[in-house]
Amino acid sequence: MGKSIDLLQGTLDLLILKTLALEPMHGWGISQRIQQISQDSLQVQQGSLYPALHRLEQQEWIASEWGASENNRKAKYYRLTDAGRKQLELETAKWERLSAAVSQILATA
Amino acid sequence: MKFSRRLRALFRKDELDQQLSDEMAFHLEKQIEQNIAAGMSAEEARYAALRKFGGVEQVKEECRDAWGVRFVESIIQDLSYGVRMLRKNAGVTAVAVISLALGIGANVALFSVINAMLLRALPVRNPQELVEFIRLDPEGNMMGNLEPREYEYLRENSSVLSGLLAFWTDARVLRSQAGSERVVVHEVSGSFFPTLGVPALIGRTIDPADDRSEVDHNVVVLSYPFWSSHFGRDPSVVGATLRLNGEPCTVIGVMPLDFFGVNRSRNAAMWVPLASDPHPDYVWVLGRLRPGVSIPQARAQLEPLFHRAIESFRDSMKGWRKEDQERVLGEKLLLNPATAGTSDLRWEYWEYSNTLKILVGMTVLVLLITCVNVANVLMARSAARTREMGIRLAIGAGRLRIFRQLLTENMLLALLGGVVGLLVAAWAHRILVTLLVGNRQGVGLDFRLDGRVLSFCLATSILTGLLSGVLPALRAGNWGRAPATGDALQLRGSTRLPFARKLLTVQVALSLTLLIGAGLFVRTLRNLGRTDLGLARENLVLMSVDPSLAKSIHDRQEFWRSLTGRLTTVPGVLSASLAGDAVFGNGGWNNSVWVRQLDGSERSAQIADNAVSPGFFSTVGIPLLAGREFSMADQANSPPVAVVNRAFAREFFGEDDPVGKRFGHAGAGSSSQIEIVGVIGDAKYGGLRDRPAPMFYKPLFQSFQDRPYYVHVRIAGNPPAVIADMRREIQFMDPDISVYGVRTINEVINGLLQPDRMFAVLASAFGLLALVLTSIGVYGVVAYQITRRTGEVGIRLALGAQRRDVLWMFMRETLVMLATGAAIGVPAAVSVAHVLRSLLFGLEPFDPMTIVWATVTLVGAGALAGFLPARRAMKVEPMVALRYE
Repeated sequence: MGKSIDLLQGTLDLLILKTLALEPMHGWGISQRIQQISQDSLQVQQGSLYPALHRLEQQEWIASEWGASENNRKAKYYRLTDAGRKQLELETAKWERLSAAVSQILATA
Repeated sequence: MKFSRRLRALFRKDELDQQLSDEMAFHLEKQIEQNIAAGMSAEEARYAALRKFGGVEQVKEECRDAWGVRFVESIIQDLSYGVRMLRKNAGVTAVAVISLALGIGANVALFSVINAMLLRALPVRNPQELVEFIRLDPEGNMMGNLEPREYEYLRENSSVLSGLLAFWTDARVLRSQAGSERVVVHEVSGSFFPTLGVPALIGRTIDPADDRSEVDHNVVVLSYPFWSSHFGRDPSVVGATLRLNGEPCTVIGVMPLDFFGVNRSRNAAMWVPLASDPHPDYVWVLGRLRPGVSIPQARAQLEPLFHRAIESFRDSMKGWRKEDQERVLGEKLLLNPATAGTSDLRWEYWEYSNTLKILVGMTVLVLLITCVNVANVLMARSAARTREMGIRLAIGAGRLRIFRQLLTENMLLALLGGVVGLLVAAWAHRILVTLLVGNRQGVGLDFRLDGRVLSFCLATSILTGLLSGVLPALRAGNWGRAPATGDALQLRGSTRLPFARKLLTVQVALSLTLLIGAGLFVRTLRNLGRTDLGLARENLVLMSVDPSLAKSIHDRQEFWRSLTGRLTTVPGVLSASLAGDAVFGNGGWNNSVWVRQLDGSERSAQIADNAVSPGFFSTVGIPLLAGREFSMADQANSPPVAVVNRAFAREFFGEDDPVGKRFGHAGAGSSSQIEIVGVIGDAKYGGLRDRPAPMFYKPLFQSFQDRPYYVHVRIAGNPPAVIADMRREIQFMDPDISVYGVRTINEVINGLLQPDRMFAVLASAFGLLALVLTSIGVYGVVAYQITRRTGEVGIRLALGAQRRDVLWMFMRETLVMLATGAAIGVPAAVSVAHVLRSLLFGLEPFDPMTIVWATVTLVGAGALAGFLPARRAMKVEPMVALRYE
């Protein structure tokens, strides 16, 4: 697995939103996707995913519905709402500014 | 939306919980599948999946937090738990609720009285737009009403007002078959009803066309109460004719029940056009601001207008002294919000006196004592729950959560107290109003429960809950640190409630302040009741008599001359006499006098005077010290004479005989005008607290003035029967004459004592309440300590302590606490008494008698309350106590 990075506060939300921007997905799928895309370098404590999902749902950035999964089992699917899409843009811009600033400092200082 | 989501989460909690479990289960199963695919055994795969997921229950709890229902849920939990605790400790709950109810109830009762007297909005259209016009002197002191011409000028020239109205209160004689009676009428401008925007119940109101001097203005609008009492609510009254002051007036309408006019303290029986009063000197003026206009904006326009109005009357001031003219021209205008109308009650009880403010102080003190008492009771109880708190902390409750739990319980208690307090107030406000206003005529107060009183009650309850609950709850958090499951004996030894004793000390101090205040008021009332008035107060009757206006001045003078003679023919009447100002009326009118001194110079002073008819001094029982009384011989054409009181004689003539000396009241150089023919004793004339002040009396018929006079009658025996006979005799002389305000001097004095009696009664009641609460507090704390320290007592006894040593051990603690409380309370009470100095009579703020009495009562009651449980401690059997461990 190699060394994995702990997630910064709030970044999990961003990752969830980004993941859901591609297609609606259930919790398990989201955790797999994040691990896959980051090539296992980001380690999400699987349990912590769910409180984050419920929090985002409470804020109405994502919505959920029960649907059938691949082998016809019932699973809870989450999808991005319009408000969530806006939030994702906002969060992405914020993240880019932050990482650019940090890179800048690391490069020059 | 979010709130509704939360609510949904709250009510569909079971369903959501199930979904949450399903969601987690799905995740775990997927992980297990993956693990098995990677080659693990089923058992291994399951453990690995759980490990990777983390604590399932913890995650679920975090998810529930995210729904935002936990907070609400825990409050509901707290509440239901609180209700259970309150029911479990029914005794403690009852004591706390009753004391809270009394404390809150007293405050709510007072507030509802203040609300009814000062705050309640007028029952008119948009009352918040109304403003009251008040004239100020150049120094900014209030002078009251406006002159009618000033009102006219403002009405014609202002643009910030959508309406301006004027009215004046007067009494008129209503003549009917049953006889004459005096009714309160409000003379109103034609703009009065249109500006207020109140329609008549039946018929119509007075409109501007009725209020012109050149038209027939003999119309009258009746109030609902008058309509009920005199016409039995007969709708055909419209069009009927009433005789007012001898003039026929047509009834044009009746007002709705809740409309009393704009002056709560003088409810009108009927309204008549202002034009029907030939010479109103002053009028009350109220205006309605245009929407969006503020009071400062209105004043910015109206004050210059007011000045222009005064300027335009400059001609009428010709011949005045320069400084008098300057004073009038320098007058200012004040606009006050008049949402609640204009009322004498506001001036009498709020602006010009501290009556209500002192009552507020008293009830707040009572509430504080209540809070401390409840805090004490709760503290003793929460100490008893140390073990419970310890266990709760041990199994993972947060300190904040425990604090909140206790506070919730206490809020519940306070709200319960508030509800019962509302009932207490519903009953107590009547007593309060009777004590405060008495049976004053024409005062109509609306005590219907309104949002303001309810909010006040709620706010007071919450505040009380916080005040009495925060400290005990915080302390409970601390006690939670004590080893709850540790050695029982150690636990008992450590819980001595030092903080509860401090609170109790505060309660003792507050209660003592109240008790000393009560003592001072009671003694003041007694001193006032016993004070020497300088006249004979028994069997002295006062009547106001208004001779018929229809007769000529000459007829009226004849009427007055014959009146006293006719009255003395009534059986039971010993003597009768007239006076311009009644005994305990205004205290005479101030007049400038010039008195010739021994060295021939003139000395001038302001002295109160009064005009009286022959036989006045013997009728009211003021002793004649030298010279003679007035007689029928003192006429307009006889030499001017006067009678002075002893204070006058002392002031101007020292020890010399004043009879034969002279003075005058017609300016400098008049000091030889009037001869003093008699000297009388000093009598109190204005108020019971008066010090003897110089006063002089003139013969009423020597310079007769055409005005109503007060008849003083000395009677023998049964006042009601004699009064009825006198009334009949006067009505027989002329049926248009009105006799009103018949009262004995004792009734007048009782009326004057009204505020003193109120303070004495209320302070005593509150003092008694404080005494009871403090005793309960002492009893509770000592009893609690004793149950907690039974083991210790057992050991002491086993080791050879005497039983009275044990008793003394507890009593000493109680007495030290009471003494400390008294040491704080006495100086506090003395400084409060200094502030209230003007209300006391015949004693100093530092009154040793009262202080000793109050301290002995409180300490005695407290010691007794401590002794009762302490005696139980004395009877502890050492073996039983030790085995109990």
